[in-house]
Amino acid sequence: MKQPHHSPHLPYSAYLVERRDLSEDTSLFRIAPEADALTELSSFVPGQFVQLSVPGGGEIPISPADLPAAQGTVELCVRRVGHVTELLHKLEPGAQLGLRGPFGCGFPLDDMAGRPVLLLAGGLGIAPLRSLLMHLLRQRERYGDITLMYGAKQPGLMLFREELAALAAAGGMRLYLTVDFAPEQLEGGYSCAIGLLPDLLKGFRFDAANTYAAVCGPPPLYRCLVADLERAGVAAQRILLSLERRMRCGVGRCCHCAIGQKLCCVDGPVFRASDLKGIPEAL
Amino acid sequence: MAKNFLKTSRLDQFLETLRLFGELHAPTISESGVHGFAPLDDPADLNLDYRRTQIPPKKYLLPFREEILQCAGGKYREGNSGAGDMVLFGVHSCDLEGIAYLDRVFLSDPVDPGYSARRARLTLVGISCVPDDYCFCPEEMTSTACDLFLGASAEGFHLSCYSTRGRALLAAAEHLLEEGAPLPAATCSGPCFPPQDPDLRFSDHPLWQKFASTCVSCGACSVCCPTCYCFDVREYPGLAGGGTRIREWDNCLFATHGEVAGANFRPDRLDRLRYRFLHKYCGFTPLQGTSSCVGCGRCKAVCPVDIDLRELTVAPKRVQP
Repeated sequence: MKQPHHSPHLPYSAYLVERRDLSEDTSLFRIAPEADALTELSSFVPGQFVQLSVPGGGEIPISPADLPAAQGTVELCVRRVGHVTELLHKLEPGAQLGLRGPFGCGFPLDDMAGRPVLLLAGGLGIAPLRSLLMHLLRQRERYGDITLMYGAKQPGLMLFREELAALAAAGGMRLYLTVDFAPEQLEGGYSCAIGLLPDLLKGFRFDAANTYAAVCGPPPLYRCLVADLERAGVAAQRILLSLERRMRCGVGRCCHCAIGQKLCCVDGPVFRASDLKGIPEAL
Repeated sequence: MAKNFLKTSRLDQFLETLRLFGELHAPTISESGVHGFAPLDDPADLNLDYRRTQIPPKKYLLPFREEILQCAGGKYREGNSGAGDMVLFGVHSCDLEGIAYLDRVFLSDPVDPGYSARRARLTLVGISCVPDDYCFCPEEMTSTACDLFLGASAEGFHLSCYSTRGRALLAAAEHLLEEGAPLPAATCSGPCFPPQDPDLRFSDHPLWQKFASTCVSCGACSVCCPTCYCFDVREYPGLAGGGTRIREWDNCLFATHGEVAGANFRPDRLDRLRYRFLHKYCGFTPLQGTSSCVGCGRCKAVCPVDIDLRELTVAPKRVQP
């Protein structure tokens, strides 16, 4: 619920509970926001985003990597890549942060119910899809077959790999991993293809006519995967894309996240591929 | 008959009365010859014989740079909107409609606190105008999006009142007014430049290429547009810790506007120019389908390479792609 007395610009207070390094430059930050923020976050739908403030640094849009936990924390998977993320990565547990949100439209869970779901994640694109995956697995009986295809540049950059392997071993989903190249010895005895995500999709047999596909990754990934999925028989309205833009305000005003006549922060960040047809700047 | 006519000879006294409602700002000319809204300390500085100010009145509602948050000890609090009561006198219908559009954007849910505070303290007094070659608006457009509107005639001004505050202004100035003839009804309200044929707007029509080949991405058309409002948000750390978060006008003609990490979704001038006019004439979420062009003509007047958007609405039908 929006609190009418609370300014849309003003972040709620939050603090860093703990941080877990996932790769050389990417960590999972567990954040505890104040009670009012948690009330707003209780409406969170996987695929939505929050605005994380690092005091004195600025604000960045991040799609949580899991649903807000019962103990009142939010998990954000963040790569050290710019000014604000650099500052975030220097913080110690207990550090003050700010949080606004959730914003935008997440995955259409009700429409996806009863159908097979194919998740396609490239690189850091696993973060928003992880919150979807966690939701699907928690309400496993509501959905059909669940398959995650996850591609990373190399094995060391594959995030959550033990966790994903354990989830797959538990039997709730099928997991296919691929890396662009493998300069290092693969550890842990899990199987991993070498090649790009579209190569993985090529050999995959599935119920394309009923499947919902959820895609998140770097911009070039969308361009080829949407065409591949459509060719395989997945209708464009069932191809869900989580897009990245620089959302500044989160409430549809600053226009930094415009995609044609849509705004990523209110109409997205999850779009159906069918809604993006004819917008040259979308993908 | 109602007392609603102000003789030109009493304009100065009328302005003094307006000062009771807030700091008076009005059209003036700067030393360098630029028309602009500015505080009117001396009534002699008033310049009502203007076509358009260089910067539209949006500057009063959306300051070029505004501190939205202060941060200390790791906690944020809201910045001060810093607004006192203000009377903006002598605003043309196009600019009034521009403000009405901004109201739709910034006063919708969730209400923008800074804008809403400044808007609540702003009294708008409109005035009729004489369009010139740059104007896009239909003849005799009269906006009702103000508190009081002055229709100029040879001897003075016919006053029309459109709000409770407008009635208060009239009451305060009653001793200066005379009985006037009843006014014709307002003729037009709302953006006036008609939305265009969608196929044309964003097709690969050669006119876009032509515009893009001369556009220098200076962004002047956006800065001067009364309804362009997109902004950037930045945060600056304080020397002794804490920091300040500001928002400032941004410009979709600049290459950085469509950037994300590792990509730019509008890398070419053509993309950016077309994007700007898609938004201007066809609107976007949540005002998709609503044109926000009010016909003020600033974009054409300030364009250093003479791009005239009216070509898009007139010529394309005749140009063979």
